[in-house]
Amino acid sequence: MATLTAARKPVLRRELETIVGAGGVLSDPEELLVYESDGLTLFRALADFVVFPTSAEQVAAVVRLANRESIPFVARGAGTGLSGGCLPAEGGLVISMMRMNRVLEVDYDNQIAVVEPGLVNLHLSWAVGPRGFYYAPDPSSQQACTIGGNIANNSGGPHTLKYGVTVNHVLGLEVVLPDGEIVWLGGKTRDALGYDLAGVFVGSEGTFGIATKIVVRILKKPQAVKTVLAVFDRIEQASAAVSAIIAAGLVPAAVEMIDQLTIQAVEDAFGCGYPRDAAAALLIELDGLAVGMSAQADRIVAACREAGAREVRAAADEAERQLLWKGRKSAFGAYGRVSPAYMVMDGVIPRTKLPYVLSRVNEIVAAHGLRVGNVFHAGDGNLHPNILYDPRTPGEEARVVAAGAEIMKVCAEVGGSISGEHGIGLEKADFMPFIFSPADLALMQRLKDAFNPRGLCNPGKVFPTRKSCVETGPVAYRPHAIETQGLAQRF
Amino acid sequence: MPLLDKLRAIVGPAHVLAGVELSPFVIEGRTPEAAVLPGSVDEVAAVIVQAAEAGVPVVPWGGGSAIGVGVPAARAGLVLLLTRLDALVEHEPGDLTATAQAGITLAALQAALRARGQWLSLDPPDVARATLGGVLAANASGPRRHLYGTARDVLIGVTVVTADGSVVRGGGKVVKNVAGYDLPKLFVGSFGTLGVIVEATVKLRPVPDEERLVATRFERLTDAGAAVRALLASDLIPNAVELLDATSTAALGLPPATATLAVGFDGLGDQVDWQVAELASLVAPCGGAKPVALPPPTWERLASAARDAFGAPAAMMTLSVLPAVVADTMEQGAEASRQRGLASAWCAHAGVGHLTATLRAEGARQDPASVAAVLEVWRAAARAGGGHASVTWAPLPVKSALRVWDDAGAAGRLMQRIKAQLDPSNVLNPGRFVGGI
Repeated sequence: MATLTAARKPVLRRELETIVGAGGVLSDPEELLVYESDGLTLFRALADFVVFPTSAEQVAAVVRLANRESIPFVARGAGTGLSGGCLPAEGGLVISMMRMNRVLEVDYDNQIAVVEPGLVNLHLSWAVGPRGFYYAPDPSSQQACTIGGNIANNSGGPHTLKYGVTVNHVLGLEVVLPDGEIVWLGGKTRDALGYDLAGVFVGSEGTFGIATKIVVRILKKPQAVKTVLAVFDRIEQASAAVSAIIAAGLVPAAVEMIDQLTIQAVEDAFGCGYPRDAAAALLIELDGLAVGMSAQADRIVAACREAGAREVRAAADEAERQLLWKGRKSAFGAYGRVSPAYMVMDGVIPRTKLPYVLSRVNEIVAAHGLRVGNVFHAGDGNLHPNILYDPRTPGEEARVVAAGAEIMKVCAEVGGSISGEHGIGLEKADFMPFIFSPADLALMQRLKDAFNPRGLCNPGKVFPTRKSCVETGPVAYRPHAIETQGLAQRF
Repeated sequence: MPLLDKLRAIVGPAHVLAGVELSPFVIEGRTPEAAVLPGSVDEVAAVIVQAAEAGVPVVPWGGGSAIGVGVPAARAGLVLLLTRLDALVEHEPGDLTATAQAGITLAALQAALRARGQWLSLDPPDVARATLGGVLAANASGPRRHLYGTARDVLIGVTVVTADGSVVRGGGKVVKNVAGYDLPKLFVGSFGTLGVIVEATVKLRPVPDEERLVATRFERLTDAGAAVRALLASDLIPNAVELLDATSTAALGLPPATATLAVGFDGLGDQVDWQVAELASLVAPCGGAKPVALPPPTWERLASAARDAFGAPAAMMTLSVLPAVVADTMEQGAEASRQRGLASAWCAHAGVGHLTATLRAEGARQDPASVAAVLEVWRAAARAGGGHASVTWAPLPVKSALRVWDDAGAAGRLMQRIKAQLDPSNVLNPGRFVGGI
């Protein structure tokens, strides 16, 4: 991999401008600063150029240029990722997909849409909403994050319990491979021919190439929705209720858990109607046919009561439902009331291990002299412990990082995973051996070599051999720009 | 030491089949050199290492129900039977997941899961014979894929033995997991060409309170197609939407009709009742007769209705098209074979655009060239419908007369590179898959 000399840069800048136009290249250091991190502000790295292509052909031309110069490149969407996945860890080019943001085609008969990668997730649901459709994957950053970024991370969201994650909704992709060739993986039909390359590409964290067109499924909006709040005096009861609901033969659209610290922060900030003295609450959503909805809700209520819920109530109307969801979705902003900073963790465990793992999380964080708030996708077993800390206190951030690693080890020990939806990126590359053997990683490397033999496409990510020059020392927490604008949440 | 002796040393003499014992494993007249039944994952790995060293290709084999799919290897090599690896390793109902070895039959797995109120939402034909590993490797599916998806949607973890004898795990035991590359997706539908699946972890679903299959008859295929579109655009949530032509209708023993639309519903009793009533009013304007309930055993025969329509088919093809053109594709395909004097049978998972068609063997007319000519027309129809088509069963002379798998285009080269990375010596099922992989 080559490093660009100062003399070479102006030459390349002019060449990039001939590909994407004069307004499509950034190279001033202060402009590049905007692209030095993603939502995980702990990691920062500067690119030599940020380029803004508007077509697959332009992306391919930029990629071919990078190959000729042997410089690394990485695609970037809205930059809301939480693992450092879109950082230019080893310099080179950032290829921003934000100018490729169109809905190209909607086929309601076949319930598919063809979109460009820079399209904001929620904008697709807006586009198809008037005809009674929506795009199911709903990461909490959906007001800002892009479908292309969702592809890279195989993003989830609260409603993945019933509807699956991004890969379950992607049928095909037009991709610029790391050598600049444009190919289609999968297509518009449900069954692909040959290996499921679209399925393998989704979640490859930008290391297999750059998606330039995406065929996704759109779903009919459900006839009815019902949201239930269950309140518990002990967190173990709430954990047990999750498995009880699952074992009772129900698959709700979402089952979210919120612990006491988080409830109090949310109530201080927004007053959404959660009881402040509760140890934990479950927010459970059912959707589907209007017929049978209340019978299903009755089963949920019974399962929660049996698990020891002190109060279970259904939202009386849409306004109350929205208020309950607001409490869940604005938890992140609410932590600002109780702590100057926090770091979000992302791990997954078998649902039945929730009681054990939650108590271990609390022990680990307490042992490091820190506090933790939990608000997460309990139905999937996808934990998001948020460790609260003060970056002005020397050494505290290092303790947060150490506690995070211990929590990941616990997830691995109970048969879980080190990431449910945020990805490995830079953040967790060194944790990969917690759950994968050298043989597992070797096969993944061979798969990567089939797509990305020169390693120029998003180097330094996913795999535990780190040789990047990223600034990794403790740095102060800073909210991401879209957070300060109230546009996005982290989980 | 000769290979067979080495294999006997690994798995025990009783688990190496040779000579006349190989008759069930003859593919297209090609007899394998041996069939071996390993009793553990380590034995699978050791067998593959020995075969690779001897330069003998390995043909993984579960129940053999999809063994006719694809191009048979030029050299039958070593059949690797997974049927001794048939344990249900773990089933935790509260997690809604299960882990099982590859050789368990789908019927045995489902029976164990159902005993605890859950099921694996894959319902391909031949469940008594088909194994979990085989179903995943062949990406086999059935009617309920309409609502519940295919193997790629349920497989969350996989253990494979690769061509160099490494035991590799991908995915995990949890339902949501983005750590590392999605190896389960790579192995679904890879037909044993990248590794031998030895264990799998799958997402489960609760057994619904009630499930019902109803059928409505049509006088014209296009009307049935219109009914499918109306159904998909409605609020109903069917778990199966099956379209059958007249021949497949007859094969299932249903009342004669030019086309039959069979629709499945599950859920609470009230939900099923309401949807069946709604279906009646949806299909009536399209010319559909009043829906009648079908006996539960019909479920299992739906996916193979076209296959089972003729005692001795000349060929079978699977077509993938956009859902909205399923009925048109069926009509064009049937007409194309009729023009050439050949009868065909068609059935489809209509809501997802997956069709299966068979061609009847007709004595002297069954020359490979004319059969292949019809299949080519069918393939062209699928491609015109935005899709692709592959031959899923045919005698070797027919398979030799056309491309068995459709053309994967530029993506095919990427597939070749993946195969070269994972199986550089071409040990696993050589030549069987798309593009000669």
